[in-house]
Amino acid sequence: MKKLAITVMSFCMVFLAACGSAGNNEAANNTAANEGNKETATNAAEETKTEEAVPVKLRIYAQYADDDTKLPYDYAVAELKKEMPNVELELEVQAQDDGQKLKTYAATGNLPDIFQAGLDIITTFKKSGNILELDSYVDSLGFRDKMYPSTMNTLVTDDGHTYAFPYAGNEFALLYYNKELFEQNNVKVPTTYDELMAAVTAFNAAGITPLSIFAKEKWPTVALFDMFVTRNEPQGIQKLDKGQASISDPAYKDAADKIVELVKAGMLPKGATNLNYDQAAALFHQGKAAMFLNGQWEIAESTKQLGDKAGWMYIPGVDAANYEASKYAFSGGGGPGGYAVNPDTKDKDLTAKVAAFLSLKYAEYKYTERGNPLVATKVDKAIVTEYPPMMQQLSDDIAKITSTTAFAWGLSDAKFKAAIEDASQSLLTGAYTTEQFISDVSKAVPAAK
Amino acid sequence: MNKFLGNKTAILLFILPALLLYTVMVFYPIVQTFFRSMYEWDGLTEGTFIWFDNYTRLFQDSLFFTSVKNGLIFAIIITVTQIGIGSILAFAVADAKIKGRKILRISFFIPVVLSITVVCQLWLSIYNGEYGLINKIFEILGLEYKQDWLTSSKSAIIAIAFVNAWQYMGYHFALLLAGVKSVPEQYMEAARIDGATKLQAILKINIPMMAETYKFCLVFAITGGLNAFANMYIMTSGGPGTSTYTLTYLMYRSAFRVGEFGYGSAAAAILVIECLIATLIINRLIARERISY
Repeated sequence: MKKLAITVMSFCMVFLAACGSAGNNEAANNTAANEGNKETATNAAEETKTEEAVPVKLRIYAQYADDDTKLPYDYAVAELKKEMPNVELELEVQAQDDGQKLKTYAATGNLPDIFQAGLDIITTFKKSGNILELDSYVDSLGFRDKMYPSTMNTLVTDDGHTYAFPYAGNEFALLYYNKELFEQNNVKVPTTYDELMAAVTAFNAAGITPLSIFAKEKWPTVALFDMFVTRNEPQGIQKLDKGQASISDPAYKDAADKIVELVKAGMLPKGATNLNYDQAAALFHQGKAAMFLNGQWEIAESTKQLGDKAGWMYIPGVDAANYEASKYAFSGGGGPGGYAVNPDTKDKDLTAKVAAFLSLKYAEYKYTERGNPLVATKVDKAIVTEYPPMMQQLSDDIAKITSTTAFAWGLSDAKFKAAIEDASQSLLTGAYTTEQFISDVSKAVPAAK
Repeated sequence: MNKFLGNKTAILLFILPALLLYTVMVFYPIVQTFFRSMYEWDGLTEGTFIWFDNYTRLFQDSLFFTSVKNGLIFAIIITVTQIGIGSILAFAVADAKIKGRKILRISFFIPVVLSITVVCQLWLSIYNGEYGLINKIFEILGLEYKQDWLTSSKSAIIAIAFVNAWQYMGYHFALLLAGVKSVPEQYMEAARIDGATKLQAILKINIPMMAETYKFCLVFAITGGLNAFANMYIMTSGGPGTSTYTLTYLMYRSAFRVGEFGYGSAAAAILVIECLIATLIINRLIARERISY
């Protein structure tokens, strides 16, 4: 027993000794860090004196996945090198993970200096103090003057403050169609529900999928529902998100009813809720599907695959009068988001300046080189790549747009977002009733809490 | 042996590293999960202590019941298929009369070593409603029994469970085969002399003597089924809608999609309790006394 006690004691001693030395190390590190801080502070002071820039390294967490995100980012970084040669960016590619990685970084105090934030990240980080309020910079850097009046909604959140420098303007969900298939099968491009139903029946009879949708991702299913809602309620799902409407209101109920009816009539391909973008887009691009739902960013790809055969249509209305009245009530939209700044970054002014600069240049490239007029900020350079006809049509319509809503990722209430996503996807199975839909969503609608 | 067991110092010394690791990696997180399940917490801020409110909400949430039901369906399907077919294959391969036993043994085990993503992608193509293998077979046979395997809210969970059952059947097969081989030969000889048929010998001698192995397999299959996640995450993302949710998926959704870490922890706590109860019941009912040959 004595032996046991001695062993336990000696273990404790070893453990304590180890912890003790670790503590010392930590203290030593802290001292070193403090000295480092002092050094930076001195450097900063010197910098202001001599106006000479010291090299700065900033960590950035940004989208960098395909041409649409890689090329504008690379351009912005190259421009930054010219403007602020002392700033070096260390890129960490954003994961497609609902912001999990970023939230983990925030929880562990390891947040990058600049990060891309959407409305959900802004809402969460605002509460936890992980995002810098940029109001003063918006004015001092002249960012506000560069915004279009129509895109101010992407700069300011509901509480009246700015938390990110936006580059993307208001984007839209569109209903694309293959003109050739409609002509060959003598089907009229639908303007009303009845015509849409007639088109579904005609295409099914001809062995063509009426509407292709990548419903394995849930946002297109929400967009489809939202399109139908906007015929009678221009604010669509956004009104639910803000707690200003109930899911059992006629506009929402009717939209769900219509979708169930159309799905039962065979509007979607087999196994639609398990189709990813590649599979669903292939159906449309290969002329096996007559219509396709995606955001306006699909214009480039559809033009490449189908040329002049591809077009986009206004969403069919309840009747002819409703079609005309709600023609410019678009589904989709933008919201606050863009490059945000970590409040614990060493030099807030510099980091904010870099973030604002990157946003402007990112938008500039998308506007001049990517044929995308839907950016948040004004660009004074000439367009290099001409708009494809579908984009031209959209560009001409922008001034006429009477209202927009939101994409699923632009919803601010995470619980409502998850519920509407799950329920909208279920709607597309055909085995889910409007009553179930209303019951499932109503539990999560903010007003119903 | 007695002398060794009398040396408490040695015992302490040998178990301490494992005990420390277990405490840090398993015990502490479980305690944290239970503790956090009593908070309204977004994972970033301090959070508010709300006692058992998360549990009350959980028991009123229809998604919770869907998740528990799916966990049970999943567990039952994989238990029956993996242990049932695994046993038949194990007894077959253990039989000296069967030719090519070595190849069979290896091929049954191959799916186990494949990555779960690869297996899920493979089955996604097999189940595909338009050009999938299963529907094509029905088409070739001239049958009108084409199904939307993964997109019908009723069949999706069953279809996914079979993928897991197929992949890990080899694992149970290997365990059971080792079990069959550990039954001493003299018992089988005695049975043969007494005129027992092959089937009688398996039912009366092999299976009862392999109770320990079966217990182990059962615990693995049932707890594995209850906390299934990867298959549905890859194959259906919990869909269509919420029809292939399990408790682990509910936890994932609450914590990472909705940002309610407290609620997610409550779902995780229930899952831990569920698995503990299942393990206790299995331990109570099967092989209560250690079998010695």
